Amino acid sequence: MAILSVGAETISLDGGRKSRGNLTKARIRWVVAALLLVFATVGGRLIQLGATVTDSTIEGVARDVITASRPPILDRNGLEMAVDIRVPSLFAEPRRIIDVEEAVHKLRTVLPDLDEDWLRKRLTGDKGFVWIKRELTPAIEEKVFQLGIPGLDFVTESKRFYPSGAEASHVLGAVNIDNQGTMGIEKHMDDDSLALLQSVGLARGNDLTPVSLSIDLRVQHAVYEQLVDALARYKAIAAAGVVMDVRTGEILALVSLPDFDPNNPSTLFQDYNGVKNDRFNRITSGIYELGSTFKTITMAGAIDSGKVRITDQFDARFGVRFGRFTIDDFHGKHRILSVPEIYKYSSNIGTIHVMQAMGKDDFRAFLSKIGMDQPVPFELPEMRKPKVPAKFSEIVAATSSFGHGLSVSPLHMVRAVAAFVNDGNMVVPTMYKRSEEEARKTYVPVISPSTSEEIRYLMRLNALEGSGTRMNKIANGYRVGGKTGTAEKVVGKSYSSDKTLSVFASAFPLDDPRYAMVILVDEPQRENAQSGTTAGWNAGEVTGRIVQRVAPMLGIAPDFSEMLDSELVPPELR
Amino acid sequence: MIRMLNIILFCTTLAALVGVYGLKYAVEDIASEKTALERKIDRQTGELSLLKADWSYLNQPAHVGPIVARHQEALALLPTSQEQFGRMDNLPMRPAAPDTAALDALLNSLDAGIDPIEQLIEAN
Repeated sequence: MAILSVGAETISLDGGRKSRGNLTKARIRWVVAALLLVFATVGGRLIQLGATVTDSTIEGVARDVITASRPPILDRNGLEMAVDIRVPSLFAEPRRIIDVEEAVHKLRTVLPDLDEDWLRKRLTGDKGFVWIKRELTPAIEEKVFQLGIPGLDFVTESKRFYPSGAEASHVLGAVNIDNQGTMGIEKHMDDDSLALLQSVGLARGNDLTPVSLSIDLRVQHAVYEQLVDALARYKAIAAAGVVMDVRTGEILALVSLPDFDPNNPSTLFQDYNGVKNDRFNRITSGIYELGSTFKTITMAGAIDSGKVRITDQFDARFGVRFGRFTIDDFHGKHRILSVPEIYKYSSNIGTIHVMQAMGKDDFRAFLSKIGMDQPVPFELPEMRKPKVPAKFSEIVAATSSFGHGLSVSPLHMVRAVAAFVNDGNMVVPTMYKRSEEEARKTYVPVISPSTSEEIRYLMRLNALEGSGTRMNKIANGYRVGGKTGTAEKVVGKSYSSDKTLSVFASAFPLDDPRYAMVILVDEPQRENAQSGTTAGWNAGEVTGRIVQRVAPMLGIAPDFSEMLDSELVPPELR
Repeated sequence: MIRMLNIILFCTTLAALVGVYGLKYAVEDIASEKTALERKIDRQTGELSLLKADWSYLNQPAHVGPIVARHQEALALLPTSQEQFGRMDNLPMRPAAPDTAALDALLNSLDAGIDPIEQLIEAN
């Protein structure tokens, strides 16, 4: 055993069973290791897959945003003014296209207006997504499918469609190719809430609640038709009109010509008769010297101040001198005039005296009270600030009293007229449907109900005996009353007598006022040799024709009894 | 005992295997059916949106107006004038009782061979 004791280690021999057991253990270990490796690989791959962010955007825009829909827009009677239609848009995945030349060639057989080089450049490369052409028709989609080019596919987009075409263009506005509102009520809807809805992913699908506007498409159509007729009849450069419900402040119609096609928004930027950027909304973003229609405002302010009574008389024999200038009357009577006569004959001299009796600072304060120096709170985003001097000098106050030297929008005027006939309650105008109770909450009294009655009398008197007779002849029976305004336009540095802006600010039926209207005809010419160019001949007649068309639609029956008119006369004048 | 358990387990596994296999294919079928239906719904809502747009276009005053203008002459269409409106209270009151005497007189004269309406026409 000496060897054993000298040797380093004990040599032990395993038995057969033991060595087999060891081998099995080793194998199990290998298998476990292999399994672990497999599971680790699977697990790792899972984590990798989970961590990858799939690029679902289309050229940087989320797919959802592109397919986002907009709520339908209805008029007050439920007729669609704007709807979404689902249209296919063609896109390509360049990395999947095998033969670019073949694809270009084949695609151009269906879409020949695509530029060959542009298309080739578009389809070459390793991009995952490129638009080829958006908003196609289902027929073209079918044809492209039949070409069988790999790497081309369609995505269904929502496209805005305006069935009324240009008729309500300035009301509705337009959307861009990504279905975002760019102007009009479409933009307002976006600014209001829709953009938020779309961004959080709620405005998908077709079940959006429709938006009801205050517009009555029948009235809108009648106004549109008459204004288009006026453009041709009086060879005018522009025309515009707005109809408002005096009690609720709802705008029933708003037309401004020249206009554009909202289905093709680029028409907005087309020149009109060689004039650039002429297709803007003249009712909200056009500001004008509205001429004699302002006399209604001067009268309302003066009578309401209590310093002028309807029975007062003013000396209109001589023109009013301010330094070098003398302000005189157009077809003046040059005698002593009563207040209704001043209004009826549209006497500038008389109106200046009325304003002076009220006091120029009070007159300026009254203009602020009826919101003439601030933009009208309104939904349409196209707005321009009116130009009203912050402080009136003697001469500016004098010219302002008959509507020169200050510029406001026709919307300002219609709102003021509506307030004057609505018992002196001024309402906030709106494009959305609104009930009278809701509107009442926004009422601001600007003149007293008794002044309102006297203004109604004056407006009706002007239609019966003054410059509104041509209008009243056409709209006979509907008790319309209003004031004409023939404002000379500034050409260069001075007022021009042959370039005028004709305005008619009216309300009807005056025995129970419901609607106010302002019609604008820009640079009208004589209809024929016998007719005149003042507002009564053009804006007045247009008003008459519109009332004749729309009054029955609005449920106003004609009534010829003279009692209605005689009841409007204030007791002092009976 | 254990052998029995093994056989049962084996059978269950086999059945589960066949079941899962079948389920997988059934689900795939249903899924493709669903996709097909979704495509169909999508296409039909697309078509519906076009039809709706068409309908509202055809209903627009802007569309109806020109049609009226086109047929204005043939159908003698004119805007309603103020005089054409009437009120219920403008209608004459209904007579309290039928005028029997006048009717008898008319019938008698007809029996006698005289037609007052014919006479009226001839007189004019």
